Amino acid sequence: MNLQFIADGVLAGAMIGLGAIGVTLTYSILRFSNFAHGEFISWGAYGTLLTAGAIGALSPAMAQPLGPFSFGWGIVAALLLAMALTGALALALDYALFRHLRGKSASITIVMASFGASMALRSLLEFLFSSRPAYFSRELQIAMPVGLGIRVTPDQIALLALTAALMLAMHLLLTRTQTGRSMRAVSENPALARVAGIDAAQVIRITWFAGGVLACAAGMMLGLLVQIRPYMGFDLLLPLFAAAILGGIGSVPGALAGALIVGISEAAAVELVGAQWRAGVAFLLLTGVLLVKPAGLFGSRD
Amino acid sequence: MTQLHDPILSVDALVAGYEPGVPIVNGVSISVAKGEIVVVLGPNGAGKSTLIKAIAGLVPIQSGRVMLAGADITRLPAHLMVRSGLAFVPQTENVFVGMSVEDNLRLAGGIVSAAHRAGRIAETYEFFPDLARQRNLRAGRLSGGQRQMLAVARALIVNPRVLMLDEPSAGLSPLLVETVFNKLAQIRGSGVTIVLVEQNARAALAIADRAFVLAEGRNRHEGTARALANDPKVAALYLGGMRAPALAGQRA
Repeated sequence: MNLQFIADGVLAGAMIGLGAIGVTLTYSILRFSNFAHGEFISWGAYGTLLTAGAIGALSPAMAQPLGPFSFGWGIVAALLLAMALTGALALALDYALFRHLRGKSASITIVMASFGASMALRSLLEFLFSSRPAYFSRELQIAMPVGLGIRVTPDQIALLALTAALMLAMHLLLTRTQTGRSMRAVSENPALARVAGIDAAQVIRITWFAGGVLACAAGMMLGLLVQIRPYMGFDLLLPLFAAAILGGIGSVPGALAGALIVGISEAAAVELVGAQWRAGVAFLLLTGVLLVKPAGLFGSRD
Repeated sequence: MTQLHDPILSVDALVAGYEPGVPIVNGVSISVAKGEIVVVLGPNGAGKSTLIKAIAGLVPIQSGRVMLAGADITRLPAHLMVRSGLAFVPQTENVFVGMSVEDNLRLAGGIVSAAHRAGRIAETYEFFPDLARQRNLRAGRLSGGQRQMLAVARALIVNPRVLMLDEPSAGLSPLLVETVFNKLAQIRGSGVTIVLVEQNARAALAIADRAFVLAEGRNRHEGTARALANDPKVAALYLGGMRAPALAGQRA
């Protein structure tokens, strides 16, 4: 058996995880399923592409590939800028749309509004960039054997390291800082959080921004490994929600674990039973886990 | 009503309720002097709980005024109340059950500097030794009495001028009620003014200086705790808990 699917699955899982953390945070703090989250991934990818293009035009040296990687400092700098921009996009969407519905509309209304936002943002991307795929780089990379018949490219290793760093930062933010404690507090008991002196509006802004930043990283990752398309984020929505629910909605470690399970089992399905089963596997798993543990793997019920 | 000379908290003709035009508190006035323990009593549905929540910024105020130490805090957003010196302990769900005891205290200390916060947490553990022993336990696993202590400790961490509690005795055994109320008396001893809403009139009047009795969203009686406790008419009409302590744990 070719074990390459494990590496592919871990990579897919890392990417899904970056998006799923945003979904799970939005759900637990703002209390709705944000179907526009996939668009943050697409916008993040296009944002990185445009910013990298601008940086490359200003300084061709920045566009030169870096060592064994297919990308140069230009993309690294572009990613940082685009992360901030995607965070700002998430804040802008909240300001323009969700803020007006919060506390006044039923949860299903807000979910439907997020559907509308998703369509609008996606169509805007298609209008601006056409639906033809775009690429960060045309460089070909040689995959290196790492044992057990698995091969990975230098880009893949760099992206895994980036994901690990972002997730560690998110974990430390949530568990070690006053900001993170405030986020957990608003998620658990918004009324008590207010009484304890926590500004819920500030917590909501931080949640949107963090979700946007991580989604941008996921988009850049998908763009670098596969391609950039206006539908790239939307097509990831189902795995994102499967991962968030599988891990226990509201739990950041859960979203990561759920994402790895979804990523690896999708890749395993392609390897073992055929690519047509890929999407079905996530749902089979989801159903199985929820039957045994209704709150998800890391979910709590108190 | 009697006008206190220099009240730390004064509520003037307050009208409040969740829906506009449907006041639950309908023109209530109370005033509290610095260092007092004041209890708000009354039958179920009298508006006691709504009154204290409206003061804390959790229920919309339609008219009237709330002053704290000379500053107008009417309609101040709830999260700013604690900064102005008014701390509130809700009746239920008053601790973050998913967080450790220590994280509950750290969180509430968010408005003071990190250095000051560590000192306050240490002092809190001295005052509540039970909590010190369980600092790493998830608050959801504390017993009812310990949870109530944590809720009070959380509110005290920022050195409030006034501590307001909504039925601190609810759901506790008589022995624990005594423990909690003894703690409140000690807290007053340290200079904190206390306002509490209670169903358990007997226990509350035992530690209170003065009491206000509400009925149907309005002031009905007021006086010293001793006078009210010994007034058989008041007791029979409004202080159901005096005769039937077994019912004391029921919700308003």
